[in-house]
Amino acid sequence: MMKKLKSGDPKLIVPTVVIAFLFLFPLMKPSIYFLSFLFTLFTYIALSESWNLIGGYAGYLSFGHVAFFGVGAYTTALLLIHFGLSPFYTCFFGGILAAILAAIFGYPCLRLRGGYFAIASFCMALAMPVITRNLDITGAATGLWMSMLPFNIFTNRMIFYEVMLTIALIVVLVVRHIEGTKLGLGLKAIGEDEETAEIVGINTTKLKMTAFVASAFVAGIVGGIYAYYRTYIHPSIVFDVFMTLIIVYMAFFGGCKSWWGPVIGAAVITIVNEALTAFLGMPGELARIVFGLTLMLVIIFMPEGIIFFIRKRRAPKKGGFASQPKV
Amino acid sequence: MPSSVEIGQAILSGLLLGGAYAVLSAGFSLTWGVTKVINLSHTVFALVGSYIAFWLLRFLGVEPILSLVIIIPLLFLCGLAMHGIIKQTAKRAKEITPASLVLTFGLFIVTENILLITCKADPRLITTSYSGKALFLDKVALPISSLISFALAAVTIAALYLFLHYTYTGKAVQAVWQDKAGAMLSGIDTSRVTAITYGVALASAGVGGVCMGLIYAIDPTIHLSWLIFIFLVTVLGGVGSIIGAAIAGLLMGLVIGLTGAFLPYAWVNLVLFISLIILLLVRPQGLFQR
Repeated sequence: MMKKLKSGDPKLIVPTVVIAFLFLFPLMKPSIYFLSFLFTLFTYIALSESWNLIGGYAGYLSFGHVAFFGVGAYTTALLLIHFGLSPFYTCFFGGILAAILAAIFGYPCLRLRGGYFAIASFCMALAMPVITRNLDITGAATGLWMSMLPFNIFTNRMIFYEVMLTIALIVVLVVRHIEGTKLGLGLKAIGEDEETAEIVGINTTKLKMTAFVASAFVAGIVGGIYAYYRTYIHPSIVFDVFMTLIIVYMAFFGGCKSWWGPVIGAAVITIVNEALTAFLGMPGELARIVFGLTLMLVIIFMPEGIIFFIRKRRAPKKGGFASQPKV
Repeated sequence: MPSSVEIGQAILSGLLLGGAYAVLSAGFSLTWGVTKVINLSHTVFALVGSYIAFWLLRFLGVEPILSLVIIIPLLFLCGLAMHGIIKQTAKRAKEITPASLVLTFGLFIVTENILLITCKADPRLITTSYSGKALFLDKVALPISSLISFALAAVTIAALYLFLHYTYTGKAVQAVWQDKAGAMLSGIDTSRVTAITYGVALASAGVGGVCMGLIYAIDPTIHLSWLIFIFLVTVLGGVGSIIGAAIAGLLMGLVIGLTGAFLPYAWVNLVLFISLIILLLVRPQGLFQR
């Protein structure tokens, strides 16, 4: 799977063209709606892909991803409001704060296995909005307003589009690279069987911490940019429980033991969701029912995700007639 | 500082609320213990129970306790159906716990939105003839609806306990929980037993929903907060233990009541979340697990 691709490889042509097209897409003067839609799509790709590090490869089902996203959002918002620093720089600071939170939470909690870790991280995600809603510095229940970039709305959306595309691209490429390294293989081993991984000499604690902190760092950065894009943040927007669940779902839908699973999952689900509500004009509740039903069907019939399902179907049957050893 | 009457009130209303949490958690704890499935949709089915009680009272004037005659069999059937779905998933999935988390989350969304469409998002209160009336113990008020809810919870917990320990099927459920292969070898039809477990779990969830509905107003999204509380109760009481769930439920009601007396309401949840994380770290097997 992880063959090194050289610069002249024909396999590189399609991805390069697609990426170049995506980068140049705003030049075609698309409607603001499309730019915003694609921005959301890239946000989810980056979030789902970063979640995949700890939740997919290592199998530690973290429901706390949105907490890191929200921490990033609040950091950049506060730095912009009080010190006038641009979120495009301070988002890294938001990422670092999110990573610190992940380290504080993860150091004790990554010892928990299975459902217990899922519950602990879920509690963390639920505790964050309670804290922000009750502190004056975070704008309490009224939320925080930020000034927009001093351009017209199209240029504004275009800048955010390009920035988020870059972030998503980098995250995907980094995760793709990690998959073949010692870190990625170690995480996969943890996901298969943690005891065995420990016995064969993998430093599981260190790997889990690295993956958890790295995924939180990315979520923090994404949150920082997202906050500036929205220009208004509120605990119920950036710490939305539904968001944390949907990130997990995207990775599962695509196939969470692979780098391109979350990309496919995020793309399909965002598009389907948008199609149901915006184009078919379904009321929100009905769209969510369809959404929930597809989620159930996917997990019942393809519990390993859509890409593994397709791969299994397409894989040539091994040990066919021709390859039988002659006796 | 709150006065002694206030503290007494906090303790007693906490305990009454704790009963409802205990019965909500018992079934959740049971399915988690027996089949390793964390059922995120447990409380949404409880909410279905409270809505049935609400509508029966609104349109036919049926007492909430009598409506259990309909709620319990209906949710038992839901439990059987759910078991069918989970069995299908278990066939293909490598590990059932993460797969079931996603599956039951789907069920959670579907049921919640069906409730939103059919019952609208307004908060509803089950208003009976005795709502708003209270018995007084010195100066401490004990609302009659809360007392009824507590009695209902106590009876259900007792019934669950007797079912698990004194009937053949109940003992089979325990056997499957302790050692599935062993249970199979001794001739227990594990599929039938787990199906009954789900039925009983959801039926008890329905009772829990009625208990909660007698105390608090209900709306289609409130089940998420119930879910968090039953996580806490289950982990505190030890997964799979009915008595543990009962004690933990009362204990947590007490903590909610007391923190509510000393802290602003919004911080109560925070105290609970942090105590749950600490509890998971110190004793993940629960306080009452052998």
